Order: sequence, then structure tokens, then C-alpha cells
Amino acid sequence: MITLLGIYRPARTPLHLAPAWLKMLMLLGISILSLATSDPVTSLGLLAACLLLLASTRPPLKATLKGMAFIAALAIMAAGFQVWLGDYVRALDLAGDLIAISALALAVTSSTSMAQMMDLVVRLAAPLRWILPPETLGLLVALTLRAIPEAAQILTEARVAARARGLERDPRAILIPSGARTVGFALQLGQALHARGIAEHGRSARAADREDRARADEAHAPLLAEPPVREAPTGETPEVPEPNRRGRRERRR
Amino acid sequence: MIEFKDAAVVAPDSGVPILEPTTLTLTEDRISIIGANGSGKSTLARLINGLVLPVTGSVEVDGLDTQKQGAQVRRKVGYLFTDASAQLIMPTAVEDVALSLRRVIKNRKERDDAALAALREIGLASKADVSVNALSGGQRQLLALAGVLACTPSIVVADEPTTLLDLRWRAHVGALLRSLPLQVIEVTHDLDSAARAERTLVVDLGRVVFDGDPKEAVQLYRDLMFGRASQGATA
Ligand SMILES: Nc1ncnc2c1ncn2[C@@H]1O[C@H](COP(=O)(O)OP(=O)(O)OP(=O)(O)O)[C@@H](O)[C@H]1O
Ligand SMILES: [Mg+2]
Repeated sequence: MITLLGIYRPARTPLHLAPAWLKMLMLLGISILSLATSDPVTSLGLLAACLLLLASTRPPLKATLKGMAFIAALAIMAAGFQVWLGDYVRALDLAGDLIAISALALAVTSSTSMAQMMDLVVRLAAPLRWILPPETLGLLVALTLRAIPEAAQILTEARVAARARGLERDPRAILIPSGARTVGFALQLGQALHARGIAEHGRSARAADREDRARADEAHAPLLAEPPVREAPTGETPEVPEPNRRGRRERRR
Repeated sequence: MIEFKDAAVVAPDSGVPILEPTTLTLTEDRISIIGANGSGKSTLARLINGLVLPVTGSVEVDGLDTQKQGAQVRRKVGYLFTDASAQLIMPTAVEDVALSLRRVIKNRKERDDAALAALREIGLASKADVSVNALSGGQRQLLALAGVLACTPSIVVADEPTTLLDLRWRAHVGALLRSLPLQVIEVTHDLDSAARAERTLVVDLGRVVFDGDPKEAVQLYRDLMFGRASQGATA
């Protein structure tokens, strides 16, 4: 499952070109539809459509197959339970729904970049601007997705380390170190965000924003090629020398 | 210009001093900081961009106080960590650099173009769409640097940026840092690299015990370490 979080690849398939909100709406609509209908024929039809959509995004084969195998295993277990209860139709419907929704979710993630997702979240959260800065919410989504594989890896390493010490039967030997490391990772990530000046608020950040905007647009031009603007020793704001900005930007295209 | 004015740091819970009151003016473009594990190098480095705030005294960058104008200071001061993995946030290389640019460039296409240009600049263009988990440690450190430089800082503080890298990458990242047309302050255990600076600070037990010529600094640090080692051996 974990491998699926990084399956986005830039491409020009129809789903890649579709706006993120449309894809989310489609995911929502089809999920509701498939859960609401209990007719196995509709279920299988939706399943086929979703698998086709997934294939149309040309996702990385290995990661996708691995993820789908995991979901299929889940679906078989769920269906097996229904069969055991004697409800064959429900078994088919349930397994079909599960696989269809997962495939569609994958189709969306494999065709939508994190930046697009963040933009969507930021836009959706705009009405809540007074409660929570939308950029922060967008970042939260990215960070959550970022943290899942990291936490999984920490857990795997803790298991290996516990086994190396012959402690694999002791849950404490796995949970305590992975808990501590997860917190450590979160702290480091927080500091890194802080250091990169991402998602800062308050007066100082707004003042910095104003400065940034003043330099705006061209500020991110050549990084290594050109000496930066250093403050005059008097502490006055120096004039920003901007030789031939336009020409430079054109060349970079 | 970075100015420490009697800046001191103590441990938040125990009140144990981590950095004694320190007064420094850092103007040179290449400054290295060396010292034993736990001596307070990272604390000193973090004071510069306000990741750590002084308990008494102050730290100013180009006249901006890290305590009151933290966000403004952090836009001037880029910070590179030892472990790049913890610094990378987005799933692919180009997206991670673009994240640094989100605030400055609102248009996504333009932002991605700028991010790609930044990657090209640092020699990572071919890895633009590769998952950050698939990059080597050295490539990851380069990517972290690209993310830092994309914010156009005028100072880069690097806390042991090459400690986790192999020899080849160490040389590469080291050379790149030295080539930057910015003020670069590097905390390092790599004494060769430290000796290439214009000015070196030696930190020991929470104090700057030497400040000056890099070669002398390295010699002093060696004496300090081996003196202590033989003391430890006889104790
Ligand atoms: N938040 C904190 N609370 C308590 N003690 C701390 C805290 N931060 C740092 N210290 C202590 O302060 C001392 C200096 O830490 P610092 O990280 O600056 O050392 P360093 O010189 O960077 O070491 P290293 O070479 O291992 O990175 C260490 O003894 C550390 O344990
Ligand atoms: Mg340190």
C-alpha cells in the first residue's frame, strides 16, 4: 500500500489533463454510486470502468500491481466472509465495490501531483480563511501523506532491530523505539519547515512577504551564476540591481 | 552580517547552560565551525536563523533580530541539515523545490519552471520527476540545497551537510557549497573542509574557545581532543 503514495508520474493522459476538482468529484460520485447500488451487474460494470481508468493513466506497473494485489486480498477476505454467511450476491457486490473504489482512487493519485492536490485543498479551504490559513491546510495534507511511508519504514526498521536482539516477541521492543523515532522525525520535519520559512504567520512573516513581493517574480533567477544582493553595511535597504531581467527570463525558458 | 551580542542558551527544562554568553561579528564569506560532539556547534548554528533563540542577549542578521523578526531572518538565512531526508517534504524532486517557491510564485506552471531551472542549476534536472526516496544520499543533499537556494537566501548555514555522504559526494557537495556566491557557514567534522574557510570557530563545552585562522583552529582542536582523550584514558 505504502508504495502507492509515490506513484504520480507526469504524463499527458486524459486524467492527467483533467482538473483535480473534477477527478475528486468523480471519485466521490462513483464511490457513492457503487456503495448505493447492490446489484452485482452494476458493480462489475463500475469495476471494469474504474480499472480501465486506472490503466489509462499508465501508472508504474510494479507498484500498482503490488498495491492492487493487496486490495484484492482484502476484497477476497471480505467476500469470503459474506460467502460464509451464505450471501453470494453481497459477496460479489462488496468485493467489486472495494476494488473499483481503490482502483479509481489510484487512478486519481497517479494522475494528480501533490502540488495540484495542495492547490485544490487551498481553494476548498478558502472560505475557512478566518479560522485556518488555507496554505497551512494544504501543507497538512502533503505532510500527512509524507509521514505515512516514513512511519511505516520506522516500524519496519524497529522490527528488524528487535529481531536482531532476539526481542521480536516483545511489543515494547518495537513500539517504544518506533514511537520515539516517529516523534523525532516529526520534530526534524517541523524544524526543516521552519528553516525553509514555509507556513509562517504573524507580523514578521507578513513583513517578509512584502519584501519578497517587492523582489518578486525575478527573485528566483540564477542561483549559482549570479552573486546575491548583499545588504549595504549601513543597514539601509540597498537598491536591487536588475540588469536586463526580461532577457534573462526569456533565455531560461 | 551576523551579530551575536552576549547571546546565551540554556537547556529549556534543566536550565543547564548549553552556550555561554557569546559575542561575535561574522562578516567573512566562508566560516567553519568545529568542535566535539555535544559541544554546542548546532546550537550556535541554529541561533543564526532563529531555530534556537537566545535566552539572554541577542542575535541579529543584517540588523534583523532573530527573536522579533524571525520570519524575515529565515528568508535571508537558508539552513541545510545533516539528514536531507528530514528536510524533503514533497514526493518528487521538482515538487519539493517548487514548495519553497509557493509563496513567491503563485502560478503553478511558472513555479514548476523555476523549480526545474533550480534543479538544472545544481545538476539534478534528470531526477526532477523521480521520487525523493529513490535518490541517493548525495543526490538528496543536493536536492535539499536546491530547495534552500530556491528561496534566494543571502546566507547559508549548513550543519554537518556532508557527514552522511561518501567521499565522492562529500567532495562534490563541499565544492558546491564553496562555490556559492553567498556567505556560507559550515559546521563540520571534516577538518580538511574546515581548514579551507577564511575563519574558523572552535566550540568546546558551550564556549567559543578559538576564533580565527583555520589552520591554527584545526591544530588547537586536535590538541584539545587528544589532550582530552589521554586524560580520559588515564582517568
Ligand atoms: N533542547 C535541549 N535540551 C537539553 N539539552 C540540549 C538541548 N539541545 C541541546 N542540548 C545539549 O546541548 C549540548 C550541545 O548540543 P549541540 O547539538 O549544539 O551539540 P553539537 O556540537 O552540535 O554536537 P554534535 O557534534 O553531536 O552535533 C549537548 O550536550 C546537548 O545534549
Ligand atoms: Mg550538531
